[in-house]
Order: sequence, then structure tokens, then C-alpha cells
Amino acid sequence: MKRTSIRAAALLFGLCLALPAAAAPVETGAVAWWVWPLGLFAFSFVLGVVAVLAGVGGGVLFVPLVGGFFPFHIDFVRGAGLLLALSGALSATPALLRGGLASLRLALPLALVGSITSIGGALVGFALPTNVVQTALGFTILGLAALMWFAGRSDYPTVAAPDALGAALRMHGVYHDPAAGREIEWRVHRTPGGLLVFAGIGVLAGMFGLGAGWANVPALNLLMGAPLKLSVGTSAFLLTVIDTSAAWIYIHRGAVLPMLVAPTIIGVMLGAKIGARLLRIAPARLVRRLVLWLLLVAGLRAVLKGLGIWN
Amino acid sequence: MELNSSTSDEQRIYARWLDWTARVGVAVLAGAFFLYAFGIVEPHIPLARLPELWSLPLDRYRELTGAPSGWHWLRFLDKGEYLNLIGVALLGLATIVCYLRLAVLLLRRGESLPAAIVVAQILVLLAAAANLIAAGH
Repeated sequence: MKRTSIRAAALLFGLCLALPAAAAPVETGAVAWWVWPLGLFAFSFVLGVVAVLAGVGGGVLFVPLVGGFFPFHIDFVRGAGLLLALSGALSATPALLRGGLASLRLALPLALVGSITSIGGALVGFALPTNVVQTALGFTILGLAALMWFAGRSDYPTVAAPDALGAALRMHGVYHDPAAGREIEWRVHRTPGGLLVFAGIGVLAGMFGLGAGWANVPALNLLMGAPLKLSVGTSAFLLTVIDTSAAWIYIHRGAVLPMLVAPTIIGVMLGAKIGARLLRIAPARLVRRLVLWLLLVAGLRAVLKGLGIWN
Repeated sequence: MELNSSTSDEQRIYARWLDWTARVGVAVLAGAFFLYAFGIVEPHIPLARLPELWSLPLDRYRELTGAPSGWHWLRFLDKGEYLNLIGVALLGLATIVCYLRLAVLLLRRGESLPAAIVVAQILVLLAAAANLIAAGH
């Protein structure tokens, strides 16, 4: 039953990608204008379901897949991807803050560094030639797939002693974990290294419009030693700040096309609601494997498109 | 060691403000898109022309359409696509509004270090929103 559902979701996802691929040889002007936004809405809806089940932000799948298989220029796809990640994070963060699963104290310094560099990333992304952005995006996605494959996770990392900077910034606290049924005391270490990593994450988020949840969580959890659930929640908060800075650059440059942005945001939000309902019954490992394969396909497609081998 | 409760007052207040500002942004975007996509508000670029334009690089797209940059889109609010940008801008302003509220809270409590970080963040976001960083393109 579960496998059948996942196969059905994979098939639907494939069909959404096949729509633009099948129409690609046809002159785009010959296709009714509404076909593409409708296809984008359908794709975004399925993406919303899959993203929730796999525990990834939508932006990381959206940009390479839509950039690779839809007729929209990568400049507009990056703008839509960034706003998709931003709107998703804005919706999720209030509940996470109220539930104590996101920490303002942990996020504030990291968000400041990440938001400054995300502006730089967005500006660099617009300055570079399209093929360079496409190729770099492809390699980034392939690197991310490798990170997802090899990186471990630690529910409650051991932090023997906080570092001086982390202590000065009061990056410590307590939250209630309903699953464990107890209060979890947490603190972080390697704060200077964490700030440096978040500077890099900001650049990638701004340059490619990917959002940054895929990198935030391992940086908070594995590098800085924050508990996994707190890392996931705080990552959503960080997205609201880091992506906001970069989003303004895209808005001011005119890279935000409402005909792409609105169907994307509405589709993903509706899909995420369905995904949240399926979360209890869906086999997480299988979905995660599906996402890994999708990332590999999307990354290869972006590299080949960037190098002019498969346009 | 003194510990922060993750569900402190500042988090609850921030959550409440973010919840409302984000909801308003998404609702305005959805409403404006309905008016735009169904032709109730006339677009700047005819919808049927979009497929020949959205595959072009940004610079070429702007050259052909005369699409405005910076905040100049505010002059085109009678056009469907630019009406949508109100919703997008509200999403972009949500975090700034919440940070302003947080700064007031922290300054009242005399928490100078986090307040300084929050004020610095507000300046960065305002510089981006005011188009001070990307100006000149």
C-alpha cells in the first residue's frame, strides 16, 4: 500500500516533468500561455507533498527541476524558488517558535551573517553568465545529494562545554521534546566555525535561490551541536531572514514574475498540507531515496544544460 | 549557567507578529493573482505574449517589456502583474516588521548585545528593501 502510494507520487512527479519535456520541441509560442503556469502549479503541488515527506525545503528541488525541464529562464526560476522557500518558512516559523522548537537566541547571529552574504550571492548570481550559473547550480545540487547520502544526524549531540562566543551570545537553552517526554537542555560549540559556514550558506542561497534548509540543519546539528529537532526548527527561522535579504535583490532587479511566483507558492502550500497528512503513513526512507534520485537527475540536467550538452 | 526558555515572551510575540504579517502577504498575493490571471485587472504585458518572454534572460526581458526595476513598479499598480508585487513586498517586509518589534523588546530590557545584533539585521534588511545595495543596475 505504502509502496504503491510512493510509486503513484513518483509517477505523478514524472508526469509533471514530462509535460514541459514533451512540449519542448514545439515552438513555445504555439502553446497556450496558461499551460505553463498550470503545469507549474501541478508540479509545485506534488513538490509540496514530496518536500514535506522527505523533510527538505521545496526550493532545493524546485530550482534545478523547473530550471531544467520548464521553458522559464533560470533568472526567473531562481526568483520564484527563493520566494517559495521564503513563504514556506514564513508559514512554518510561528508554530515552531511558539512550540520552542526554534530558538531566536541561536538564530540571530547566524541570520545576520547569512543575510549579508545572501545579498552578495544574489548580486554575483546576476553578474555571472547564465551557463556558469546553470553549471554551478548543477554541481551544487550534486554536492547536496552527496551530503544527504553520507552525512549522519544526531538527535542529541554531546557538547561538553560551550565556546566563549556561543556563551557570550547566550546560544543555549531548554525546550520540551514531546516525543522524548522531557525537557532538553542544549548549548552549542564551534560558534566561529558555524558563523563561517552560515556565511557560505548565505552565498549559495542568494546565488541560486535554493533556500538553505538543506545546509542549515547539518551545520546547526553536526557542526554546532544543537539537537536535531531544534536545528530543523531554527533552520526555518533562519530561512525567513536569509531569504528575505536575497529576495529584495530579486524583486528590485525585476526577476520576480508573478505568473511563476503565485502558482508556485499556492501549489506548494496546498501540497504541503496534503504532505503533512500523509506524513504518518508514508515510508520516510523510500521518499528520501526518491528525493535523492530527483536531486541527481536535476543536478546532472543543470550541469549538462550549463555546459551546452543538453539544452 | 542561566538558561533561556525557548518559549520565552520574545518568541511568542515574534511568532504572533510573523504569523499575521505572513498571512496578510500570502492572502494579498493570492487575491491579486486571481485578478491578474483571470484578466479582471489589465496586465502590463498581454498574457498571451508571456511564453515568448519568460525564456529570455532578465536583461533582455526588461529591455523588451520596459519592466521597471527598484520600487518603480509602484507606478504600475493599475496593471495586474504589478498588483501582485504588493503581496510579494509584504512577504519581504514581514521579517523587518518583526525584527523592529523584537528590537523594542530587547532595548526595553536593556539586553544590549542581542539588541545590537537585531538593529544591525534591521539595517541590512532595510538597505536591501530600499534598493540601496542593488542600485545602479
